[in-house]
Amino acid sequence: MTTPEKVLTVDVPRGRFNLFTYLCKGCGLCKEKCPKECLIWAEELGAYGTPAVIPDDPQKCIACGICEQVCPDCAILIEKKKVK
Amino acid sequence: MSATQPILQPRMPKSWYKANKPHLFCPGCGHGMVLKALGEAIDELGIQSKTIFGCDIGCSLLAWNFLDVDSTQTHHGRTTPVMVGIKRANPELVTVAYMGDGGGYAIGSQHTVNAAIRNEKITVILVNNTNYGMTGGQMAPTTLPGQRTETTPYGRDPEETGYPTRGPEMIAAIAPEGAYVARGTVANLRQLKGYIKKALENQMAGRGFSFVEALSLCPTNWRTNAKDTWAFLEGKMAQYFPVGELRVPKQKEE
Ligand code: SF4
Ligand code: SF4
Ligand code: SF4
Repeated sequence: MTTPEKVLTVDVPRGRFNLFTYLCKGCGLCKEKCPKECLIWAEELGAYGTPAVIPDDPQKCIACGICEQVCPDCAILIEKKKVK
Repeated sequence: MSATQPILQPRMPKSWYKANKPHLFCPGCGHGMVLKALGEAIDELGIQSKTIFGCDIGCSLLAWNFLDVDSTQTHHGRTTPVMVGIKRANPELVTVAYMGDGGGYAIGSQHTVNAAIRNEKITVILVNNTNYGMTGGQMAPTTLPGQRTETTPYGRDPEETGYPTRGPEMIAAIAPEGAYVARGTVANLRQLKGYIKKALENQMAGRGFSFVEALSLCPTNWRTNAKDTWAFLEGKMAQYFPVGELRVPKQKEE
């Protein structure tokens, strides 16, 4: 997969965290629901000029997909590595 | 990287209309989540081409081009009778009336009640966020005792304005055999999707009125940050409005 410009992509141990900045409205609902409390406000701005979100320490993210599920705007996409 | 590699796309339900995303709802609005659950339910049942979506007045109307299905918009709870008419004329269609607590429990409550009593074979999804969102956060039938809104600056006083409407409980009490009634929450989207799916299937099986209330978020008018937004939904709201299925019709033996 190629990633278009407006996607923040972070490799995490169990997969990849992707955030589509043009969809993120900076509501923070995902940050509150992350079981690892690893999301912080990003330098990059989202749809309304508010900060997007990004894992502060990629090692902490377990690619559980909860942030993707709760996002009302489908701004997050978690790709899970296939486990053999 | 070869040119044929697909560009990474967000994982939106197939039945979402991609061209209007980001959608029109506020940051952190629960409508996006309810419509994600509905979109996934439509996808899983494979009914996108025969679904008719009707939204109401208030914030629910911001969903007028949210789904890639035939859609219409009416005012003040009349989405319900409009969906009834479409369903009666074309019983093979799946009609969804989408509204807020104001449309369904206040100004349009007669439509909700009478469609339920007649056991109309439609699905109603009613989003409960305890206030009138679009007009600036006034008290709604669902505003909790003590809750501050634009029109209850000292908190809702049940002595003066009564107690909040428990819609699914009311529908469950008046709807005939065959009705499906549930209350879900955007705090549990998997469960909410399951309820919506059952409500659509109940309509498709021609069993009866299918009603799902979804407890939702309105951070703009609640004036809450993300933490307090979740806390209000999962605390006070869930206490007053218990989540679960109230009426599940017996399936016909095959
Ligand atoms: S995938 Fe799970 S652990 Fe990783 S950021 Fe999202 S919620 Fe947090
Ligand atoms: S990714 Fe989604 S849930 Fe998280 S801040 Fe952005 S819009 Fe809100
Ligand atoms: S006012 Fe409330 S219900 Fe309306 S779009 Fe904004 S957050 Fe959603």
